[in-house]
Amino acid sequence: MMTGGARTEAPPAGAAGGQGRPRRALLLGAVVAAVALAAWLLSTGLQRDPTAIRSPLLGRPAPDFALRTLDGDRTVRLGDLRGRVVVVNFWASWCAECRVEHPALSAAWNRFRDAGVMLVGVDFQDDHPSALAYLAGTGTGWPVVADPGSRTALAYGVYGIPETFVIGPDGRVTAKHVGPVTYDQLVREITRVLPEGSGRQPGAPAAGSP
Amino acid sequence: MADQAAASRPARAWARPAVGLAVVLLVALGALAAVAARGPAPASTPAERVHAIATGLRCPVCRDLSVADSPAPLAQQMRSQIAEGLAAGKSPEAIRLEFVAAYGESVLLVPARRGVGLVAWVAPALLLAGGVLAAVLAVRRWRARGAAPAASTPSAPGTSRADKVLLERALARFEEDPP
Repeated sequence: MMTGGARTEAPPAGAAGGQGRPRRALLLGAVVAAVALAAWLLSTGLQRDPTAIRSPLLGRPAPDFALRTLDGDRTVRLGDLRGRVVVVNFWASWCAECRVEHPALSAAWNRFRDAGVMLVGVDFQDDHPSALAYLAGTGTGWPVVADPGSRTALAYGVYGIPETFVIGPDGRVTAKHVGPVTYDQLVREITRVLPEGSGRQPGAPAAGSP
Repeated sequence: MADQAAASRPARAWARPAVGLAVVLLVALGALAAVAARGPAPASTPAERVHAIATGLRCPVCRDLSVADSPAPLAQQMRSQIAEGLAAGKSPEAIRLEFVAAYGESVLLVPARRGVGLVAWVAPALLLAGGVLAAVLAVRRWRARGAAPAASTPSAPGTSRADKVLLERALARFEEDPP
């Protein structure tokens, strides 16, 4: 008759417990690593400003255009302006922020026009009478052109106005500014590419002078 | 000996149908992948061709909409520019590249099939292949674990290693001290 054998024994060390421990540690390490990677990706990605899209045009030749001025007087062709610094400003009469930057553009135009800098306003998705009224009301002295079908705006990658591009004498885009531009920003970007001794306004410091 | 044959037969009974099922699944997935890579049926009318390109472009103004769906005037003008490009004989790829030159890669809704965009096309297939491989290796490991101890101790099939060791100890004690 069997009386013994009722003792319970702990399973030997070779069973499920010990063998799995290094593998479990590896799995835990992999999970921790994956979570850390995901956390890092999210933290860097979510901090990035999705609106700060770097223009692919920077450093590349500016798209050419030949556009008629709003008063129909003449055609402004970018190719004809090679050798001069050109500031291209996209605006519209319905754009409130464009009114905000208008004095800055005006001041920069007055300062640099004698140095050969050209400022061109490109009307964006606007109606003709409103645009003309705006120009008359603000006293805009620089040439303003119409952009039928927004073909030029599309070529420059315009998202929303105001957008201002600075083009160097070699025809390459040196700066793009989204939103109202300030006088200081315009001065900085223009003087950056303005050739030496271009006859600035008296009182304006030449580049490199103390 | 008959015991060992009995131990291995149940392990193999489900193996062949499982492998067959895996092969069928892989062939089906391969066919799906080939169809997906080929893309939808080519558009025929000019409007359809414009639409086909416009659905792959992101509206710069309403950035969660495609150029095909967006009501923004700029999107409308982009569609008009696409139509002009097609009428002038430009290829869809050339038209897309024009927008990329102006707006950057972010204007594409479908990742480009080169450079970083290639990752989006290749990664799912790689992950699937990796998963299948991991599953195959795991199955193989389970079968090996089930089959190996049967050679050492004669016991019923499906007995775990721990149980076999317990059994061996009990048998040893039985032989030392039989009731």
